[in-house]
Amino acid sequence: MAADYVSPFDDRVRTPEPLAPRPASVSGRRVVLLDIRKNRGAEFLDRMETLLRAEGAVTARSAKEIFSKPAALDLIDDIAGRADLVVEALAD
Amino acid sequence: MNAAGTHMTAPPLSVCGLGPGEITIASLAADGAALLLFVNEDCPTSALALRRLGPLCPAWQEAGLSATAVFEDPLEVAVRLARRLGWAGRVASEDPPYQTSRAYGLVSVPTAVLVDNAGTIAGTVTGWDHAALVALIGKAGALLGAGLATPEATEPLLKPGCSSKAAIDPELAAAMSAPAGSDGIEEMFERGWTDGLPVVPPTPDRVEAMLGGSDPSFSLGLVPPDMGEATLERVAACAVLAGCRPAYFPVVVAACQAALDPAFNLHGQAVTTQPAGQLVVVNGPVRDAIGLNSGMGALGPGWRANLTIGRALRLLVTLTGGGMPGKLDRSTQGQMGKVGFCVAEDEEVSPWEPLHVERGFQPGQSVVTVIGSDAPLSISDHRSRTPEDLAWVLAWAAASQWSTNWWPLQEPSVFVICPEHAEMFRAAGWTKQQLRRFMFDAVHKPAGELRRGETTPFVHAADPAAQVPKWASPEAIVLIVAGGEAGRYSAVLGPCTGMGSQIVSREVGSPWPLTT
Repeated sequence: MAADYVSPFDDRVRTPEPLAPRPASVSGRRVVLLDIRKNRGAEFLDRMETLLRAEGAVTARSAKEIFSKPAALDLIDDIAGRADLVVEALAD
Repeated sequence: MNAAGTHMTAPPLSVCGLGPGEITIASLAADGAALLLFVNEDCPTSALALRRLGPLCPAWQEAGLSATAVFEDPLEVAVRLARRLGWAGRVASEDPPYQTSRAYGLVSVPTAVLVDNAGTIAGTVTGWDHAALVALIGKAGALLGAGLATPEATEPLLKPGCSSKAAIDPELAAAMSAPAGSDGIEEMFERGWTDGLPVVPPTPDRVEAMLGGSDPSFSLGLVPPDMGEATLERVAACAVLAGCRPAYFPVVVAACQAALDPAFNLHGQAVTTQPAGQLVVVNGPVRDAIGLNSGMGALGPGWRANLTIGRALRLLVTLTGGGMPGKLDRSTQGQMGKVGFCVAEDEEVSPWEPLHVERGFQPGQSVVTVIGSDAPLSISDHRSRTPEDLAWVLAWAAASQWSTNWWPLQEPSVFVICPEHAEMFRAAGWTKQQLRRFMFDAVHKPAGELRRGETTPFVHAADPAAQVPKWASPEAIVLIVAGGEAGRYSAVLGPCTGMGSQIVSREVGSPWPLTT
């Protein structure tokens, strides 16, 4: 019979958030490009922005305070209020 | 019973893998065909098969044949063995009673089973039989309409396998696989409640003793990256696992409180590709009270308090926080300080005010300070005869920290000055501030000499002739004293960089015990 131990884990069940539906087209959609402030991430987003605009997307930029911390909740709320789609750039 | 026969439908898989999704025959054979290689840890022939077939997997995958090693072992064992043996295919694990092995009628391992994309078994080979395996791979190639790489015909060409765990009586198999209840230490490995070293099983009695009257439900906050809640009960479980005595627990708790301060940015440190560890520095009377070593071998093994306090914090991050190396902890190479690193300052030998007093505490207070740091670099200097020469040597040893041309560093370098070096500064009457200033002034280079490879925007923006210091300010040079009385070896620990991580201190046991 298994011994009784005190678990170091937080056993709360976390259900992964389902992925949002993928859009068939970006044309006319509001796209926020989120710079996490990792080195050269902005260059990647510049190129993405050019390509998205060519596809008819309406783009805007946003940025995290620092790459190594989770995005602030008010930043997430702000983006959620003005975007249909988000592109987040990792870089280096 | 023989292995599952050709032309029968491949039985469903009841295995787990590294990814979140279910592993099915249909998904494995989706690109054309699937090869299942049943193996287990105890079998040398399985190791041979993994070593010889493993390097071929990427080319097979490109041609449409997915190869999966199905281990009759826990997943962490499977992953470790696969990596060690060069198996470049998928890895899956099945638990007792080895339902999948039974469904495939396994008698021995290794057994290779080829499944076509209709889910039908197209062929089976047991043991290491080079010719039969080449024929099986040839059959896979025929299914895919491609020529597939085969293993070299080197000895041994034939090697019998070992008994599949599924072929052993279930009760015997359970007894052979470190059964729960009879070997607590092995059970901890099976549960994954470990950093890879043996741990002390956290029985309720041990955890209660560790808590020492503190409220088990008292929360220190959420531990990144997975934001598990650090109740004192879980912190105590980590301290037990780490091997702490109950007397260490107030120090462990203070270290956890300091590390969970948002200013420390444990989140970034826990998941970064950097080698960042969480250095724990202890000052004050608690050092002697619990037997922390600040003398000979102060940065190394030999003292339970030093080794287990740092480890308890790391286990909290790894287990409660979910920052498991290779999973959410993405450290490229890691470093041994990530097992745990706790240093006590030798305040009695130091010519200077101790770290905690510098940081605003009273000398009689016991204080834990946490610093995001890299591994220590030892600095030998037995030749300097002036404090200026010694300070210059110590400072320049840190010139390559983070990266050779990354100047200036915003984050702190921690110098652990040995007693003989400290004595030279004491004899010359140097204050800590003087030494820090001298070291800061000593290490600078023209920006033009730093424009190679990884360097800072600051260097690129500066006039090529402008002198750039290694540190952004003298305050980025942290000085503590520890080590044996003989030997002129100091050390410097590089920073965790770019995280905005600050040094955080917390008083030990104030208040204590912790109750809601």
